[in-house]
Amino acid sequence: MDKLTLSIPTGRLKDETIALLSRMPSWPDSFNLNSRKLIFEDLSLPWKIILSHPKDSSTYVEFGAADIGIVGKDILQERGNEVYELLDLRIGKCQMVIAGPESLTTTELFSKDTFRIATKYPNITRRYLQEKGLTADILFLYGSIELAPAINLTDAVIDLVSTGKTLRENKLKVLENIFPVSARLVANRISIKTKMESILAFVQQLKGVIGNE
Amino acid sequence: MDLVLGMKDTHPREVRKKRDIEMKLRHLFSSWGFEEVETPSLEYFATLQKVIGEELKERLLQFINREGKLVCLRPDFTTSIARKYSSDLIGEHQTIRVFYDGKIFRLPSSPLRTESELTQMGLENIGKNTAAVDAEVIALAIIALQEAGIRDYAVDIGHVGFFRGILDMMDYSADRQQQLKVIMKTKDFIALGSFLEQFPPAEPQLASLLLDFPFLRGKKDFLIGCQDRFPKTQLFTVPFQRLQSIWNILVDFGLEANIMANLGLIRDFDYYSGVIFEGFSPLSGSPLLAGGRYDELFRIFGKDRPACGFALFVERLVEVYEKSHPGNSVPPLIYTIHYQPTYRKPVFLLAQKLRESHLSVITQEESELPVALKVTDGIHEYSWTNIDWDILPEQIQKVIYHG
Repeated sequence: MDKLTLSIPTGRLKDETIALLSRMPSWPDSFNLNSRKLIFEDLSLPWKIILSHPKDSSTYVEFGAADIGIVGKDILQERGNEVYELLDLRIGKCQMVIAGPESLTTTELFSKDTFRIATKYPNITRRYLQEKGLTADILFLYGSIELAPAINLTDAVIDLVSTGKTLRENKLKVLENIFPVSARLVANRISIKTKMESILAFVQQLKGVIGNE
Repeated sequence: MDLVLGMKDTHPREVRKKRDIEMKLRHLFSSWGFEEVETPSLEYFATLQKVIGEELKERLLQFINREGKLVCLRPDFTTSIARKYSSDLIGEHQTIRVFYDGKIFRLPSSPLRTESELTQMGLENIGKNTAAVDAEVIALAIIALQEAGIRDYAVDIGHVGFFRGILDMMDYSADRQQQLKVIMKTKDFIALGSFLEQFPPAEPQLASLLLDFPFLRGKKDFLIGCQDRFPKTQLFTVPFQRLQSIWNILVDFGLEANIMANLGLIRDFDYYSGVIFEGFSPLSGSPLLAGGRYDELFRIFGKDRPACGFALFVERLVEVYEKSHPGNSVPPLIYTIHYQPTYRKPVFLLAQKLRESHLSVITQEESELPVALKVTDGIHEYSWTNIDWDILPEQIQKVIYHG
C-alpha cells in the first residue's frame, strides 16, 4: 500500500489529535512529535507527517501536498477547500457563534440600521449575514476579537467559543449559535483515488478509536 | 501596470511546452477523424442559464453588451458546441466529430484561488448513443494523456445513473433532493451521515451505498461484484451493463491498465446523462481531463441528439509533464547572422534559404564588423572573411550540425 502524507495542525488541536492517532494500531509505540521539526519521515512511521499551521492544513490537502489531513470545521467553512470530508474526529469541539455585550439582544442588534461585526472569519460572517438578510460592516481582525465590543470598535463579534469563559470575562454573551465545530479528517480528491486502499484503511482504523462523545 | 485580477501572463518557455502538447493532440484527434471547430468567446447568459448548475452560474464572467443583453465569457465549450449543432440543420442524421482548443473563463471557486482563464482542449462525438462511441471517446482520452507525455495516470469511469438512481429511489421532495445533491458535490460525508440519519431512506441499503461513495472503485471484478450491493432495478442494471460493455471494448483496445470503474463519480455539470469519466495523475491535485455523455443537453436546446465528449485541462498537463520530466526543456536555438552593409542583398537571400530549412534566423547589419560575415547561436561563433555565396548555405548548415 502507498504511504500516506498526513497533515496535522499545530496549536490547540495538536495534542488532542496526537492522543487520538496514538491509539491507532499502526502508531509506533515509542514515537513522539515533540521536536521542533515540521516534517517527520521516519521509516518506523506508517505515514509521512507534516505539522502545519491549523489554518493551512486543509490547503495542504486541497493542493495535494498532503493526501489526508486533520482540520477544524471552522477553517473548512471559511476557506471552502475542495476536499473530501471523511470523518468527524469529535475532538476540538466548540461552536461558531455571534456574541455581543451582555445587555444586547439579537432583536436589538438586527434592527439597527447598520452595525459592525468583528471576526477572524470574514467569509463565514458574510454568508451568515446573507442568510439572515442583514447588512453590516465586517471588520477583519487577527486576534483578541472579544475586545472589539468592549472598546466600542464593533457591536458584535463572530468567533469560536468553547467554554464561554473568555466571553464572560469580557462581559459578552452568545447571541446565537451558528454551527458546531469539531476536527475533521479530510482527503485530497485525487489521492482518494490513487491511494484509495491506504486511505480506506486509515479511515477504518481511525473510526475504531474515535470516542462516542 | 497591473494585471486584471485572475488573469496571468504565460512565459515563452511555458507556451512552448503548451503548444507542443496541443500540436500532438491536434494531430491525434485529426488522425481519428475529428475536425477542429471554433465557437465564439461570448454566449448569451440566457443560453447558458438553461444548462449549467447553480454553482457554475455564480462563477460566470458576465457583462451587459451594447444591445443591453447579459453576455458571458464561455465557461466551457460543450455548451457552445451543443448550441451550434442543435440549431444547425446540416448533417442532422450524420455523426459529427469535432474537437476544439481554446480558453475558457470561470471565476475562481473560492476567494483563495485566483486563476480565471484556462485552456481547454477536447472533443465531441455527436449522433449516436452506444457503448462503442463511449468507449472510443474514453480511449481517445487515455491516448491523449499518453501523447501528452503523462506517464503515471488513471482514468476513472462511472455513470450518472448510480447517484440519480439512488436519488430516485429515496423518494425525497425536490428541496431535500437538492440538499442531498449539494452535500454530495461538496463531498462532505459527515454532513451526509447526519442528513441520512435525519431523513432515513426507505431502503437502508441506499444510505450505506451513499456513505461508501468515495470508495466504490476497482477493476472489472469489482464492477461485477458490486452489482449485488445495488437494488435489482433497471435504474442500476442499465448503467452496469453499459459500463461492462465499455470496459470490454477498452480491454480489446489494450487500454485496461489505466482504467478504473468508479461508481461514486459525480461531475459538477448537471447536463451529463450517461457514462462520466475523469483522468488524473498523482502529480496533480486536480483532474487532468473530464467528460461524459450528455444527451440531455441537446434536448434542452430543442433537438434530441445524443453526444459524448471530454475536455483536457492543458495547463495541468503541462504542469504534470514538467514535474515528471524535470529540466527537460531546451530552448530552441536562434542563429544571428552579423554582416557588413555591402552584403545586405545576398544575406537576405541566405537567411531566407536557411529559414526555409527550418532554422530560426535573425539578421543584423554591422558596419564595424571585422570580418565579412559572422554566424552565432549565443554560444558558438563562426566567421567568414572570403565568401562564396553559392556554397555558403551548405557551409553554415554543416558547421551548425557538425561543429
